[in-house]
Amino acid sequence: MRIRDVVIGANASMYYKLNFGKIKGVYYPRSEQEVIAAIKHAHSNGLTVTPKGGGSGLSGACTGGNEERLMISSLQMKEVLTVSKDQGYIDVQPGITPDKINEFLTPMGMRFYIAPSSRDIATVGGILSTDGGGNDTWVHGTIRDKTRRVKMVLYDGRLLTIDVNGVKSSDPELETQLNKIGMSMHDVASSHGTLGFITELRLSIGPVINETLIGGLAEFEECNSLGRALNEMIERKSPVRYGEAITSAHVDVREDLNPPLLIVDFPTDYESEMKDIMDYKPLDKEGLARMKDIRLKLPKRNPKVGIQVALFEGYGFYGDSLVHLQDRLDMINALLIDHGLTPFAKYGHGPSKWYLGDNTPTYGLILHSREIKPEDKTGPEMLDTVLAIVDLCEATGITPKPEHKWLYSDELKKKRLAEIRAIIGQGFNPFLLSPECNEVLDSMV
Amino acid sequence: MFDATGEEQFSPRGKTYLLQVMDQIEDDEELGKEFRRLLFQCSLCGRCEETCSSGVDLLKIWHEQRAKAIETAPEEFAYLDPLKDALANVKNIYGLAAEDRAIYWLDELEDEIPGLEDRVYEKGKTAEVMVFLGCLMSFRGSQIDVLRSLFKTLEKLEVDYLVMGSEEFCCGHPLYLIGDDEGAQKLRNHNKQVMEDAESKNVITCCPGCLIQLREHHNLDSIGALHHTQFFDRKLETITQYKQTEEFSYHDPCELHRILEIKTEPRSVINKMGIKFREMDLACCGGGGLLRMTDPDLSDKVIQLRVAREGVKDTIVITACPSCREQLLGQDLKTKDIVELVSTALGGDVE
Repeated sequence: MRIRDVVIGANASMYYKLNFGKIKGVYYPRSEQEVIAAIKHAHSNGLTVTPKGGGSGLSGACTGGNEERLMISSLQMKEVLTVSKDQGYIDVQPGITPDKINEFLTPMGMRFYIAPSSRDIATVGGILSTDGGGNDTWVHGTIRDKTRRVKMVLYDGRLLTIDVNGVKSSDPELETQLNKIGMSMHDVASSHGTLGFITELRLSIGPVINETLIGGLAEFEECNSLGRALNEMIERKSPVRYGEAITSAHVDVREDLNPPLLIVDFPTDYESEMKDIMDYKPLDKEGLARMKDIRLKLPKRNPKVGIQVALFEGYGFYGDSLVHLQDRLDMINALLIDHGLTPFAKYGHGPSKWYLGDNTPTYGLILHSREIKPEDKTGPEMLDTVLAIVDLCEATGITPKPEHKWLYSDELKKKRLAEIRAIIGQGFNPFLLSPECNEVLDSMV
Repeated sequence: MFDATGEEQFSPRGKTYLLQVMDQIEDDEELGKEFRRLLFQCSLCGRCEETCSSGVDLLKIWHEQRAKAIETAPEEFAYLDPLKDALANVKNIYGLAAEDRAIYWLDELEDEIPGLEDRVYEKGKTAEVMVFLGCLMSFRGSQIDVLRSLFKTLEKLEVDYLVMGSEEFCCGHPLYLIGDDEGAQKLRNHNKQVMEDAESKNVITCCPGCLIQLREHHNLDSIGALHHTQFFDRKLETITQYKQTEEFSYHDPCELHRILEIKTEPRSVINKMGIKFREMDLACCGGGGLLRMTDPDLSDKVIQLRVAREGVKDTIVITACPSCREQLLGQDLKTKDIVELVSTALGGDVE
C-alpha cells in the first residue's frame, strides 16, 4: 500500500475512516482509453470500481465503502473539449470544476450557471453524480437541468451516450434494453457512481446576465412565517436571484444577526411585489456583501466550547413542511438534543429547487445544519442519530439531504438504479445498494 | 504541487486527510516513511492557507509536522545533515568559509562601485541602513547583476548603508523550514547583535525568506526590517521613466505576497517607472520550502508547468526574490529583479 492509495479516501463527509487494505489500485486516467483500461483491469481481477471526483460531496459515496475495489479519480480529466457559443454548450471532461469552466468562458461573455459553494473543487462529473447545484438552483436548476448529454464507460467496457431522451450505445441490444426501460439523464443524475464512469459531459452555457438587483434583509418572529414567505415566493415564481435563510445561529457565532432571517437579491422592478410578500429592509451593495459574508462564514467557525460537525448536511423543506418550518425544526432540534448533540446553526438556500427520487422537481428551502458534538460521541452513535433524522424527515415530509442526494434512504431511486444495473452490470460502487450499507457507513464515521 | 503531479497526496486537503487517518499510517512502516517524505514535497508557499475557507493555519501545521517527522525518523533526513552542519559551523547554506561572504561579489564589483569595500561592516562601524544579503545573494554568481544594481542604487540615492559581510549569519530560514527553531534562534541572535551594534534603523533585504526571519523572528525591536522594494518605494516618490523596449511579466514571490503580505510596494515601484507588465498567476515557482533540496525533480516540474502554461518565454520576468530568480534562470528565462530596473531607470546600470 502506498500513500496515493490512502489519500484517495479524502472526502468532505464524516465517512472517512476507510479500510485502505481493500483499495487494490488507484488510477488517475487522462482519457477515455485510459478509463477503459483501468476498468478492464478491475473487471478481469474481480474488483469493483468506485469513481471519484473532487470528493466535496457529503454523502460518502465516493469512498466506495468496504469493497475490494479499484478507485478511479477524474482529477486528471479536466480538459475543455469543444465549445459552441451559438448553440450554447460546452463539452468537457468530467474532472473539470465549474470555476475552471467559467474561467474559460468569461472572455467569451458566457457562463456555466451551476455554482455549488465548493465550485472550486467539485468536479462536474461528481456534481452530476449527486445532482448538485448552488444557492441559485431556483434560477438555474440543478446540474441535470444543464447537462445535455454524458458519455459513460460501463463495467464491461461498453460505452453509453445518455441524454434527456434516452441512450445510445455501440451495442444495439444494450441500447434497446435501456431505452425500453426509459433510461435517461435523470437516471445518471444522483446515481452516485453506481452506473459507470462518466468520461464526457455536454453542458449548457448562457450569456453573462447583467441586470440591476436590489438586496433586502427580512427578519421574522419565528420560522413558520419565514417558511410561508418562501412558499409564497415559490407560488408567485418570484425572480429571486439570491436567497439565503438563517433560521438559527449559536450565540458564539451569531454576531449581530437576528435569526430567523432571509437575505434576498432580486431585480429592482420586483420591489413592490416583494413588499407584498414580506417586510424587508433594503440592503445596499456593501450591506448585502456583508450579510453574504457572515452567512458564508457561519459554518467555518467553531463554538467557544466543543467543535461543530456537519452531522446531517441538508434538509429539504417543501409544501407542508415549509409552511410549518418552525414546527419541523423544533422536532429536529428535539431529536438532536435527545441524541446528545447541541444545535449550532441552520442556514441555507431558499427558494431553491431539487429533484425527488422519482425525478419530480421540487421547490422549497434547503437548510444546512451544524451541530456541536460532545467529545465522547462515538461513530456508531453519530450514525444512529443520522438514521433517526432520516426517519423523522420521511415521517414529516422533509427531503433528507436534498442537495447531496443521500441515496441511502431514497428507496425509489435505489430501486431504479437496481433495475438499470440488472442490465448494465453491478460492478460500480455496489456498497451503496447493498443491505450492509449502514454497517459499512457505521465503520467509517 | 497538485497541479504538477496530479495526485491527491500533493494537495493540501490530501495531506490534511492523511493527518486524520494518521493512526493507520503510523501502523505501516512504509506509509509512515512516505508520509514523512511527502511533508517535504511542498514549497510552503502558503497558497493552501490563503484558499482555505475555514481559515486554518495550515502553514503552522506543516511546520509542526516537518519538525515531528525529523524527530521521529532522523535517519530518513540524513541528507539534510550537511545543511545543518554548514549552518552550525560556517553559518551559510553552502558550507563555504564564513569570511567569504563578502569576497565573491566584492571582487566582482569593487572596481565598478568605488568605496564598496568600505561599506562592509566591521566592528565599530555604524550606518542607518544595514543590508542583509542572505546566503544566495552572497555566494551565487547568478545574483551578481541584482547586487550590482542594489549597490548602485543605494549609492545613487546617497543612502547611509553597510553590508553585513562576514558578520552576517544565515537568517535561519532553512532551519525554520525544517522545524529547527532552536538552531535558527542561535543564528538570529548573532544577526540581531550586529545590527544593534551598527546602530541601524532599518535592515533591508532582497530575499523574502530572509525577511520572514528578520521581520517575524529576529525580535529586532526598534530596527525596521524591509524588503528592498518597500525601501525604494518609500524612498522614491517618483522615479525616472524606464525606457521600455522589452515585454515584461511579473512573478510575485509567494513568501513576499502571501506570507509577508507585501503586495503593493513591488508593483508601486514598477508603476512609478511607467513599466507596462503582465501579471503572472499568483502561483509558486517551486523554489520555496527547501523543495530544491528535498525534491529537485518536483521543484523543476512546478516551474516547468508555470512556463508552459503562462507563455512567458518571450518576456522578461520581473521578480523580487533570489530563489525565484534561480528557478526562472534554471528554465532559461530572462529575468530581472525590480532593483535592476530601478537602477537602469536612474541611469546607474552598466550593461
